[in-house]
Parts: sequence; structure tokens; C-alpha cells
Amino acid sequence: MATISSRLKADIRFQDGLKACMNCGVCTAICPAAAYFDYDPREICQDVQSGDESILIGLLKGEQIWMCGQCLSCKTRCPRDNTPGYIIQVLRKISQEMGYFVHSRLGRQQLLLKRAIGHSILETGYCVHPKLIRPETHREQGPVWEWVMDNAKEVYEKCGSLYYEEGLGGMRKIDSDTLDEMHAIFQETGAFNLFDKIEQASEAKAAEMGLSFSDDDDNEYLREIQL
Amino acid sequence: MTKQKVAIIGAGPAGLQSAVSLAELGYEVDLYEKKSRPGGHLAEWHVLFPDMQPAGELLDSLMQKVLAHPQIRLETGVNISGLEQAGKSWQLIQSDSVRGEADAVVLASGFKLFEASKKEEYGHGIYPAVISSAELETIFIREKEWPFEKTNKSPKIGLVHCVGSRDAKCGNLYCSKACCITAVKQAIELKKTFPASEVYCFYMDMRMFGLGYEELYHKAQLDYKVQFIRGRLSEASPSGAGRIQVKAEDTLMGRPLKLTLDMLVLMVGMTASVSPEVKENTVELKEYANKGEFVKIPGAVIGAAQWLKPGLFVAGACKGPATLPEVLNDARATALDLRNYLSGVL
Amino acid sequence: MAQLNWKSYQKEIPDDHFFYVRSCIRQTFFPGAETALLYVLREVLKKDVFEDKRHTTCTGIGFHSDVIPLETIMTVVARQLALMTEAGYKNLLVSCVTSFGIYLEILEMWKHFPEKLAQTREALWKATRREFEVPALLTHSSDAIFHFKEQILNKSQISLVNAESGQALKGVEHVGCHYAKIFPQDGIGGAEFPRVLSGLIEGWGGELIDYPERRHCCGFGFRHYLVRANRSYSISNSKIKFESMAPFEPEFILTNCPGCNMFLDRWQYTLSEMEGKTYDSRGLGIPVLSSEEMAGLMVGMDPWKLGLQMHQIAVEPLLDKMGVNYAPKAKYHLASSAVPLPQKPSVLLV
Repeated sequence: MATISSRLKADIRFQDGLKACMNCGVCTAICPAAAYFDYDPREICQDVQSGDESILIGLLKGEQIWMCGQCLSCKTRCPRDNTPGYIIQVLRKISQEMGYFVHSRLGRQQLLLKRAIGHSILETGYCVHPKLIRPETHREQGPVWEWVMDNAKEVYEKCGSLYYEEGLGGMRKIDSDTLDEMHAIFQETGAFNLFDKIEQASEAKAAEMGLSFSDDDDNEYLREIQL
Repeated sequence: MTKQKVAIIGAGPAGLQSAVSLAELGYEVDLYEKKSRPGGHLAEWHVLFPDMQPAGELLDSLMQKVLAHPQIRLETGVNISGLEQAGKSWQLIQSDSVRGEADAVVLASGFKLFEASKKEEYGHGIYPAVISSAELETIFIREKEWPFEKTNKSPKIGLVHCVGSRDAKCGNLYCSKACCITAVKQAIELKKTFPASEVYCFYMDMRMFGLGYEELYHKAQLDYKVQFIRGRLSEASPSGAGRIQVKAEDTLMGRPLKLTLDMLVLMVGMTASVSPEVKENTVELKEYANKGEFVKIPGAVIGAAQWLKPGLFVAGACKGPATLPEVLNDARATALDLRNYLSGVL
Repeated sequence: MAQLNWKSYQKEIPDDHFFYVRSCIRQTFFPGAETALLYVLREVLKKDVFEDKRHTTCTGIGFHSDVIPLETIMTVVARQLALMTEAGYKNLLVSCVTSFGIYLEILEMWKHFPEKLAQTREALWKATRREFEVPALLTHSSDAIFHFKEQILNKSQISLVNAESGQALKGVEHVGCHYAKIFPQDGIGGAEFPRVLSGLIEGWGGELIDYPERRHCCGFGFRHYLVRANRSYSISNSKIKFESMAPFEPEFILTNCPGCNMFLDRWQYTLSEMEGKTYDSRGLGIPVLSSEEMAGLMVGMDPWKLGLQMHQIAVEPLLDKMGVNYAPKAKYHLASSAVPLPQKPSVLLV
């Protein structure tokens, strides 16, 4: 697995995602990330199509690949049946595997996602659940959400939810055997390897930046990458 | 000695020219046309690129020769659906009965235009302001109404290249060759009609392969200020009051763009019309719907006779996207090959 | 690669016997919507909808945040399918649109790369001793509502018509990106003119309004909301949609993706605070409802058991127009004694 090119080609999403790009631009035309960032999925495809390792390393270390919002609107329109969004997924994977993601501000955010979403899945069996969306850090959720969280159990139960109780229903407390199975799946399929890589590269970066780093919710590095 | 007879299927430019060339060579010609009038697509066009020659002039000159020649018998409203070989002669089948016989046949069935509504994201057939290039020609020749306010003398108009062509999502990977130059021609015509308009061509490449084409492109920019944006149109949406919002990327500038237009013209590509299924003694002439498989000459070699089997010749755009000069020359050359076949030389 | 006209996107939707998997986001923000779906299907339409309490997230959000590897999500999905197989079901009914897209993609990948399917079977066996079959049909909850829309209308005293004036209510749709953009042939009506929500609006008597940015993503962007620093991406893309639909004065927005529903609801509030304006003429915002919530209203569910009080944008104007029978004062009532009401936003009227 020497070259980035060969790593790319080994992933089925890349095989499906990049056939031959003719630079038409229909992807960039409707891309929400291109509307917001100085980002161009067509240019990413051109860079990847070049096969040039130094360009590829630049992509893996750069900000660009973290701008895609994974909407996959690009897949619908491409007249050559490419999918820039899939190419991005594989670039992000390789960037993390090779530790390059810590070179970019947006890439460093992977630690936040691993600790929020990754941990949530293992601890609760959900990617996202109500207690994760704290009103104080999510003011955009509005005053009604604050009210909901102040009265959560009753509100949820009124709507037929179990709100973290055991049983059959919405937002149930998922049983520990199931969580063990999830754990085993993560182990078997390499998720923990990815998690470890994210942590290790982040820790090394924190040291390089002279910032404290720990498993806790609060440390200098975490605060830095939140910005 | 009775003159030998040739049957021609299709009275578009290729069929009309084939008829004239073959009659001049001394053959009796039965010219069959499925529509109620001859001329094919040529009858629906306004002016021809690159010199803006009125299409009607060319059609009239072909028709005059056809009608004047006593050896050419033109029948319209006849749809030949198949051919049967009996020895060396060919029978032409219409609805399961024999319509005629000939010593040789020329298939000149032409092309269909890509059905623009199949490129759903452009909204043809849903938004009145989105029309095809063919519909634009009709507006010009029949002086039909424009799909925007009469009082609007400075409409913003977009022309979209490659509609139904170079497109895996439409099932047609090929380039339809003549759409780029047609877009340039139509852009100039629109500017002539509405001098205060803004006209944008959304292209991937400018395929200006013919003599006079690149010059016309230059003229479109220099004299008519047509704007050329290198970016394939991604979508058209209704913007209110009948206007259209379009999205493309200006790929040369590397940024997405959005425009609101009064009219959008889709340059629809040529697609196959008739597909011959060649069997031992019969040929079935099926009609396609939007698929891109033009008539393939078996073992095609540059300069060789264009036939599916000895005696069944093929001329014109039914073999693939082509321009009028190419089609007319192809018809003439095929007539000569046919003559050589019938006189035993080929 | 086939050339399909939108009317020819026919999707097979089963009539009965569904295995239901829930949505992380819908369970979190719109618990009543899932309750409504089950009520409509089971109680009103007498369908068999099975749920296994051992099912989990599909991990789609983690996958699209690039912290969950492809092989992991394939195996988690396989575990869900194993539960479905164990219960003897062949029709998967999916609440979340991201999840729906994930199941479609993975099934497609397994078809084109059978070695991945073999790998997944092995991984699932090693990790859990479970085995699975692929589903016969994949249905999103909005597909089911679309499929049964006539029956739902027949059981309803109300519709998308102004009960007083008799005028059709004007609605816009917002279809989640992962519903049809990935595989247009797996969405009703395809990707350009999806029918799954527009069919409900028109089928239930409403007037469908198109707008230029209808197909634009709401801007969830996964990492662009889950990482708080990135939220401006998300709000900006929703803003593009609001600016686009506002001139057409829609009376409601209909969604099928729970994330989209949450964003289109919340970002109207946030934008009102930031910019001092709303996207309707009365300062109330445009109510955003999912197909389940709309269906729940149609069959007479109490809006406050449907969870509509959990929306930030007030739904009462819409309820009043539809002629829904409800108790406005009971909106924030809970079983316990009187609780303080939510604070009022500074711009948005509630």
C-alpha cells in the first residue's frame, strides 16, 4: 500500500466514484459546499485524476477535503457517472489512516466527531440523542428546546417516547448485550483502529502545538479545535 | 431494356439527393417518405450555418430537381417497416404487405432529435420558457410567440450545449457534432432579433470543426457580444413570473454561478431513428426511442461502399450525426457505388 | 443509465408486514413523529409493523462524519438485517432518510462487490454469531405514507384545504438529499421531481408550490452541524432555501428527512434572531412538518401528543387553517403541575 493512488484504488467507493472526469462542472454548480466555501468538487476530481502523489498529499493535508457536506447531489448529475462525494469519503479515510488530517484546521475536528458520535454509538447505541444537544452550547435550537430539555422526561413520554427507559419504543435504553455486540463489531471491522489513529495523531499534534491533551471533555487541544 | 429500379427510404436531404443523383445516373427511383411532407428536418430550419443561408432555399432547390425529374416517383405518408429479398430484387414492406419492388435500396431514414424532457433537470415540457433548439427554429420560421413577455425587448437567454449528448445519465455518450455550431448560429440570430438581449452559451467544449465555424464563433463574441461560459448547465428551476433560474459552474473561473433567464434553449442532440435488423433474407426497420445506436455499416472501412448487405445501401445521418454538406456528399457517393453494384462492377 | 421520465419512476412499496428501524434524529427531536407513523400504520390502517428493541442506529451519521469505517457500517447494517431475518420479515421500513440512503448504498455495493458481502457476513458472524438475508424491499416512512395516502385521506375529517375559505393550502416540499439523489430509481418520482411529498400535498388537497432552490440541500452537512464551529455552513444553506421560497408565500413546508425538518425549523428561529426577519409576512415563520406529522394530524391525533409543541416555529396558524380540533392552551401542559412556558424569542412570534 505504498502510494496514495494505490490506497485510493483499493477502496470500492473510489472505484465507483471516479471513472473519468471531463471537467464539465455540473457538480460544483449545485454543491452546497461550493456555495459556501471556496471549494470546488470538480477541481478535487481533477487533482485526484492527475495521480500525482505530491498533489494527493496536499489534498490529504489540506482543508478542502473536509468541506464537503456529503449530500451527494453531485452523484445525481454527473454525466460521466462519477461521484465526487465518494472520492471525498475515501480521501478523508486515507487522511486519517496516514495521520495527515491533523495538518488542517478542519481535519483536526475529527477528534471532536470521534469523541462525540463515536463514543455515543458505543455508549448508547445512538449516534445522536437528546442529552447530547445541550441548550447552552446549542442556542440555535431555540427556547422551545430549552423548555423541552428542562422537562424532558414528561415531554418525551407524552409523545410516546421511552426517554432512556428500557423497553420497546423511541429513545429506549438499548440493552447491554446489544451494546456488547456493537463493541464486537467495531473491534472486528477496524473501527477501533481508526479511533486509535485519530486519538494518537491528535495527541501528537497537541504536543507539537504545546497544548494539553487528555481523554477528558476539557483540555487545551479540544478547546483549540472547537474554534 | 427496362430501366433498373432503386427504392429510397426517407425523403430528407439524404433521400432527396440520392434520388436526384440516381435518376441522373439513369435509374427509376421510388422515393418513400413516412411523413406527410418531404424534407426531413431541413424543412423545419430557419437558416443554415455557417453562412446563414435560408434552409428553405436549399430544400426548394432539392425539391425542384426531384419534382422535375420524370424518373423519380415520390410517395409521402408511406412508412416502410421492412425489406424482403427475393433473389436479387428487394421487396418493400408496408404494414405486412408489399408496397413495391426494387433492384437496390437506399436507406436514408435520418435522425430523431433527443427528447429534451428526458433531461429532467432542465424542466423541458414543464417550464414554458425552456425550449429546444428545434422549437427555436420553429419560432423563427413560423414567427411564433416567444415564451416571455411581449414587452420584454432585452430578454436574458441561455443556450445549453450537449443536451442528451456526452451524457451517461441520458444513455448517449457520443458527441452530436453539430450542436455547438448550431448554438453559435442561434445565439447570433437571437441577438439579431433582440439587439438589447443578453445571450449566454453554456458549453463544455466549442466544437468548431468546420470551415467558417470558428469564424462564426469569433463573430458571435466580437460583433454580437454573445457570452460563452465554460460550464455544463446543471439545473433549471422556476424563478417566478415564468423566468428560469439556472445553475452552472464557470469552470474557467472556478466558481459556481446562478443566473435568472427569460428563456432557455436546449441544444438537443441527434439520436438514431431507425434500426435495421438484418436477417438472412429480411431486414426489419424498427423505430428507436431516444437510444443512440445509429446504423452501423458492417466492417466499415474508410472509403468503402456504405451498405448493410449487397444492394442495401445506407446514406446520411442515420449512420451518425452529420452536417448537410456531409449528408449530400454521402448521398452522391453512395449513388455511384450503387451504380457500380447494379452494373456488376462492385 | 436508463433514460427515465419522472412519471416512470415506479417504486414497489409493500402493502404490509414491515420491520421498522428508528432514526436517531427523529427520536431526539420529533419523537411524536415516530409515534404517529406507528399509530397510523398499526391502529388506523391495521398493518403489521414489527419493531425489535435490540435494533440500534445504523451509524450513518458517524459514517458521513468519517469516523465509522465502511466495513463497520456494513456490519452494523447487517446486524439490523439479521434481526429482521430472525423475525421473519422481508420489508424494511426506515424512519431516517440518511439511513435509507445507507441501506440502499450498501445493498448496491454488495451487489457490485460481492466480496464485500462475503466479508460482512464473516465479520457479523465473528462478532455476534448472527446471519442475515438482504431485504426484498426497502421503504422509507414517507414512501409508506405516500402509498397509503388515499386511505389516510379517507379516514380524515380534514385535509390540506383551508377549512374556512375552501382554498387549497399552499405548501412547498423539501425532500432529503439521501432519499433520491443517490439512486433516483429508488425514490418515487426520481431525483428531479420526486413525487413522495408533492404527491401528498396534492393528494391531500393542497397546492404545490415550486421554488428555485427546491432541490438544494438544507445544509445539515453532518460535520457542519455536529462540530459547533462549522454551523454557519448549515445555516447559510438553509437560508438559501428560505430566501428562495419566501416570495411564493408557502403556508407550510413538508419534509421527509428528520434532520431537514429540524434544521428548517430551527434555522428560521436563528435567522430571525440574527437578521431581525422571518420568511413569512406575519413574523410567525413557516411551519415545517414531516410526512408522519401531517399524516398524524390527518387521522385526528392530538397535536401535543404528536409532539408539535417541540417545534420552534408555531404550528397553530396551520392547525387553525386546516380546521384541526385541538386545545391551544394545552400546548405546553404536562402531567405534572404547571411548568414555566418556553421563553419567547425576540423576533419570531410564537
